[in-house]
Amino acid sequence: MFKELDPMLLSQLRLAIMSYLMVVREAEFNALKEETGASAGNLSAQISKLQEAGYIGVEKTYRNNYPLTLCKLTPKGIEAFEAFYADLKTYFNQKGG
Amino acid sequence: MENEEKILNPQESLRIIRETIDVAKKGVQENGFHFLLWGWLVALASVGEYYLRQTRGGTEPYLVWAIMPLIGVPAALIYEWRRDKKQHERNLVREWYGLVWLGFAISLILSLVLAIRNQVSPVPLVMTLAAFATFMSGLLMRFKPLVLGAIVLWIGAAVCLALPMDVHVLIQAGGIMLGYLVPGYMLNHKARQNHV
Repeated sequence: MFKELDPMLLSQLRLAIMSYLMVVREAEFNALKEETGASAGNLSAQISKLQEAGYIGVEKTYRNNYPLTLCKLTPKGIEAFEAFYADLKTYFNQKGG
Repeated sequence: MENEEKILNPQESLRIIRETIDVAKKGVQENGFHFLLWGWLVALASVGEYYLRQTRGGTEPYLVWAIMPLIGVPAALIYEWRRDKKQHERNLVREWYGLVWLGFAISLILSLVLAIRNQVSPVPLVMTLAAFATFMSGLLMRFKPLVLGAIVLWIGAAVCLALPMDVHVLIQAGGIMLGYLVPGYMLNHKARQNHV
């Protein structure tokens, strides 16, 4: 029996946000919207859930007088993603073996 | 992704991770601009110095090196400024890449001062430092031609030890062409294919 996968990351959009942020250090809301193809409302809702779980940090700032939302992974988020990925690998190894 | 809360199975999870990481990685790729810019400037300045020394002598040949930063620094700064404006995210690889070359620039200035003061050829020192920074760039970008380019530059630096100072700049020109320009053009070609 494999370890239960983290339900916070078993959502398509939340997992895509976390995977993207694992590569880029921080991303603007619009970049995440573009890369995931999600609607602004859905993206905003999933970002809030990840933020509540302590997986990502959200910074609201300004660039050239325009509001800017920056998202980045927290150490807890990185740990959760790595654990999720390790659990997935265990699942596939057990399934394969 | 129009779904609100689609619950994934393990296969789908792995696919999402792979696909998203592939998309994100494209933004990490460099297009080789700096390798092409500095590669051509160093190669032309090296050949220029050799030619002027053979035909004129004196200190005049060294002046070609003063032209290099006058063209290179503004071109590099304008390029980075324009890229920063377009960039919607920061990434670790690009940050490390910048820091490696910042370390190179500081070491280069110090090495040039030390070489001139001790009246030794700066070329093997410059090639060794460039090889190290190129090697690190190759590893960071996981681009093997840059690692091979670094090896060419290390070999060039070692070859200088067996040759008179006069021809060091020619070794440098050859080393830069093979170690910077060839991988630079390959990187550029790869980036164009990926529309970076």
